[in-house]
Amino acid sequence: MSAEVLSTAQETEVLRAIALVDDPEYPGVSIVDLGLLEHVDVRNGVATIGLIPTFSGCPALAMIADDVAGAVRAVDGITTVVVTWLTSPAWSPARLSENGRTALATEFTVAVQIGSSTPTCPLCSGPTVEQSMFGPSRCRAVHRCESCRETVEVMRG
Amino acid sequence: MSRSWNDMDEFEEFLDGGGIVEVDDDMPREYREAVFAFIEMHANSEYMGGLTERDWIPKTPGLRHKMSVLAKTQDEIGHGHLLYMVAADMGIKTRTEMLEDLMAGKSRFHNVFHYKAETWGDQVAIAFLVDAAALASQQAVFKNCSYGPYRRILKRIISEEGFHMRLGEDRMRRIAEGTIIQKEIFQGALDRWFWPALQLFGPDSKPDDKLLRWHIKSERNEVLRDKWVQKFVPMMHSYGFTVPAPDLAFDDETGKWDVGPIDWEPLKKTLAQGGPDSARRIGEARDNWERTAWVRNALNGVLQ
Repeated sequence: MSAEVLSTAQETEVLRAIALVDDPEYPGVSIVDLGLLEHVDVRNGVATIGLIPTFSGCPALAMIADDVAGAVRAVDGITTVVVTWLTSPAWSPARLSENGRTALATEFTVAVQIGSSTPTCPLCSGPTVEQSMFGPSRCRAVHRCESCRETVEVMRG
Repeated sequence: MSRSWNDMDEFEEFLDGGGIVEVDDDMPREYREAVFAFIEMHANSEYMGGLTERDWIPKTPGLRHKMSVLAKTQDEIGHGHLLYMVAADMGIKTRTEMLEDLMAGKSRFHNVFHYKAETWGDQVAIAFLVDAAALASQQAVFKNCSYGPYRRILKRIISEEGFHMRLGEDRMRRIAEGTIIQKEIFQGALDRWFWPALQLFGPDSKPDDKLLRWHIKSERNEVLRDKWVQKFVPMMHSYGFTVPAPDLAFDDETGKWDVGPIDWEPLKKTLAQGGPDSARRIGEARDNWERTAWVRNALNGVLQ
């Protein structure tokens, strides 16, 4: 088996491990589904992982990096893990996977705004109206559903 | 969409069957008032807690902790905002009325925010002891809460409070494994915060507690308090700290820690806004509210 094939199989394992790391504020929602993973490279037992923050001042960065490093270190044959927060490309809600969007909507009543589209209420699919640019986090705004009056947090860029 | 019930018996039967009440439902007046009062107190506590956290942003040691304090401040204020919206929807008080009552010293917020945080050690003790107590009581509400809009907000709040707990443990380990002076500072803070944190759960629940009967809360105060004691007493010991309870005893038969008699007078004082730091805290919140009136006026002018 060539070294190249070996690292590809290992990369799959590493990817699988990273996909099991949840966002600290959304238990059950993987950081991969949130679009935080940019690249993975495995060579000679060294895994280099590039992540993208939803915003650069996010207080969860150290915790997420620790969780990723811990998960990858547990993969067979990995001796060193280097996790880096990249400054580009910038994160945007378009990076969220379909799975991620569904989990945010059904588990946390959180909607996602892509570009300048009008977000829809996770409960009744009605249009929501912004109440405040910022919610409990920089990456979320507070909206209200016009139809069912639900208070909805909206993830946006 | 609005549902209604003929009488309280029918409504309670609906709740006992796991029914979830929504904002447009024609719920009994007493239920509406009880849920509203509960959410209003929670919102006030998040808001006052956020202001306390904010005071520490410039004084927090190190960039890593400073980022976590900044984020926690935004979290708490954001939680307050969401909760005030949900409370206002119940049609009893508007958001402005709730804030004005809070600034006038007319409404309640959690006992722990009536005390002064003297040192960084106090902030760590709060993150370690108080946040855990608050999280435990919120989880007990969320588990079975019959009021839908509150339950859904709580799910998000709890996930974020869980994140604060991890930040708190990180802070706690750093100070607990630090120098002798740091350990002394932290012991002093634990001595100040152990009892207020324990009292956050409140005295034993009354047998006819409406909050329990209407499935707003799902666990009795004394049960939650005991769980907290069983977790935190051994944890404080394992890090080499003492628990400031002179009658602390371990019962070999039950395998449980007993903190001895609890003096509820300090809790009563805080609920009447007579805690050691109540006046200053409410006064500062009020000054802040008044100083920022021009921002609200300007925004309201733009929106009209």
